[in-house]
Amino acid sequence: MKMTSKDKNDSDNTFCLVIPETITIENVSTLYNEIKQIEKKHGVLHLEIDLKNLREFDSSVIAFLNYVKRNHPDVSVKNASEHFEKLLEIFPLTQVGPDRAASREWLSFPRRRVEALADRFLGVTGKFTRFFMLLADEIYYTFLYLFNRKGIYPGEIWKQLFYMGYNSFPIVCVISFLVGLTISITSLEQLQRFGADIYLADLVGFGMIRELVPMMTGIILAGKIGASITAEIATMKVMEETDALKTMGIIPEKFLMVPRLIAITIGIPLLVALADMIGIFAGMLVSWKLSGITPNLFFNEMLLSVDLIDFLIGMMKTMVFGWIIVVSSGYKGFNVKQGAAEVGIATTQSVVLSISAIIVSDCIFAFLLY
Amino acid sequence: MTKMKEIIKVNGLNVGYIDEVVLSNLDFTILSEEITVVLGKSGCGKSTILKTLIGLIPPLSGDVYFFGEKVDYNSEIVLKNLYRKIGVLYQSSALLNSLNLYENIALPIRMHFRELPAAIEKEMVYSRLSQVGLEESVEKFPAELSGGMRKRAALARAMILDPDIIFCDEPSAGLDPITALGLDELMLNLKKHFHITFLVVTHELRSIDKIADKAMVLNEGKLHYFGNYPDMKQLNDPFIDSFFLKDVKYDN
Repeated sequence: MKMTSKDKNDSDNTFCLVIPETITIENVSTLYNEIKQIEKKHGVLHLEIDLKNLREFDSSVIAFLNYVKRNHPDVSVKNASEHFEKLLEIFPLTQVGPDRAASREWLSFPRRRVEALADRFLGVTGKFTRFFMLLADEIYYTFLYLFNRKGIYPGEIWKQLFYMGYNSFPIVCVISFLVGLTISITSLEQLQRFGADIYLADLVGFGMIRELVPMMTGIILAGKIGASITAEIATMKVMEETDALKTMGIIPEKFLMVPRLIAITIGIPLLVALADMIGIFAGMLVSWKLSGITPNLFFNEMLLSVDLIDFLIGMMKTMVFGWIIVVSSGYKGFNVKQGAAEVGIATTQSVVLSISAIIVSDCIFAFLLY
Repeated sequence: MTKMKEIIKVNGLNVGYIDEVVLSNLDFTILSEEITVVLGKSGCGKSTILKTLIGLIPPLSGDVYFFGEKVDYNSEIVLKNLYRKIGVLYQSSALLNSLNLYENIALPIRMHFRELPAAIEKEMVYSRLSQVGLEESVEKFPAELSGGMRKRAALARAMILDPDIIFCDEPSAGLDPITALGLDELMLNLKKHFHITFLVVTHELRSIDKIADKAMVLNEGKLHYFGNYPDMKQLNDPFIDSFFLKDVKYDN
C-alpha cells in the first residue's frame, strides 16, 4: 500500500506531501523516510503538508510535523481539522536540546583529560578523608556507648553477634578445615623428601594461627557480613530511613554501626579460636594418616614452635580485620545517594575494599611483627 | 459527541492476597474519555484494586474485560498487549534511577518501537517534557529531581505511547497545590484532546473536584458507590459526607 502521494510542482519548486488516512507510531517511520528521500533527491524545497485525508492518528504524527518544521525553513500545513489545530497548540514546537554526546564538545580533548584526572584525584582524596572521618567517629561512638550505654537499639548487639558469629561459624569452620587439609598435604610432600615429616606440625600450627586463619576468616566475613552491612545501610539510605533516624534525633552512624562493631569485636576472636583448632586438626589428621605421626607427637612438636603470643597476634590481627570490614562496609553504605543500582554497586565495592584493605593491613602486620 | 466505549468492565471481581480478601464482589464499568477517581480510607484497597487491574496482583476470582476482551492475567502475551495500551503513574514515580530523564521517558518507545527514527523519538519525548514543564531537566537523573518533578516525569513516561487509559496512584501526593493543579489540568487536556481515560486513586479533595467525572468509593471491603461524581455529592451518604468533611464537628 502506498503510504503517501506526493506531487512536485516545478514552477514554484513546491513539494506537496499528502498524509494518508492512518498514521500512528507504528507507521510514522515511512513518512520520515519519505521526507528524507525527498530531501536527498530535490534538496531544500517549499514543503506543503496536506492533512485532508488524515482520520486516525496519534501524537507521533505531530512529532513528525514538528520535526519537519524544525528542519525545513519553508513548510506549510493545510487542511488541518479544528481538532488537529488544537493538538498542534498542545504540542507546540519546543526547544529540543543538543545530543548528549555533543554536550561537552566545547572543551578541547586535552583539557577534558586534565579535568578528568583532577576530578579523579580530588575524588580519591575526598574518599580517603571521609573514610578516616567515619573510622574516627565510630571509635568515638563505641567508647561513648561503653560509658553511657545510649544511642543504640536494645538487644541489637546480641542480634548482630548471633548473625556475625553463630551464623558464620559453619562456613568459617569448613573453609578452615579444607585449607588446613590442603596446606598439610602439599607441604608434607615437600617435607618427606628431606625426611622432615615431623616439622609439618610446626608449619601447620604456626601458619594457621598466625597467618592463614586470620586472613581466611577476614576474607570470608568480608563477603558474608560486609556485603550484607552495605546492602542494608545503602537500602536504608535510599528509602530515606537514615534521614528519618536523623529527624528523630538518632545518629545513624552510631545507631547502625556501633552494635556491629561491638559484635564483631566479641564474635571474631571466638570464630578464629574455633577455626584455629579445626585447621590444626586437619593438619594433624593428614600427618597421622599419611605419615604415621601420632596426634600426641604432633601437638608436642607444635607447642615447641607456637607460643601463646602467636595465638594472641592472630587474634589481634583478626579483630583489626573485623573493624576494617565493618567500617569499610558502613562507609560504602552511607555514601550511597539514590537508587537500587547504586546499592548493588556499593555492595560489590565494599567487598573489594574490605578484602584489599585486609590484605594491605596483613602485609603491614607482617613487616611490623617480623 | 462521540459514543463512549467500554474501556474496562469488571464482573464479580475479588481482589486481595492469598490469605486475605481485600475487596469482594466488585462490578463496574469504566468508559472512555472519563476520569474515574477511586476514593476510600487508607488501607481500604484502593491501590490493591489498581494493581490488580494492571496485573501486578493476580485477581482472586471474577472477570476483567479490557476493550471488550476478557483478560487472562496468567498469559504473558495478553499482559504484554495490555501494557501497550495502558500507562501507569506510580505513587513513588518509579523512574529508573540509572537512566536520565530523557532515557526514562523514551524507554517505552525504545522497548516497543526500536525502529522509530531517533529524530521522531526526540520530538515525542521533548513534546511530553514540555507539557509537564521539564524540558530544562532532560539531562538530569531522577535523584536530582524534586518529588513533584519526578511525578511529572512519570506522567510524561506514562503517556508517551498515547495509551487509551492511564492509571494514576496518588498523582498529587506530596505536590504543592500549584503543581498539583497543573497536573490536573494536564490530565483534563489529555482527556479532552487525546481521549485518554484515567483511573485515579487520590485523596486530594481539590483535585477530585476538578477532574472527576465518575467516582468509585470503597468502604469495608465493598464497592460503596460507583457512579457520576456530581450525583454522588448530592447523596447525603454519611460515609461519603465524612470523606468530604461535610458536617464534621471537632471537639475543639
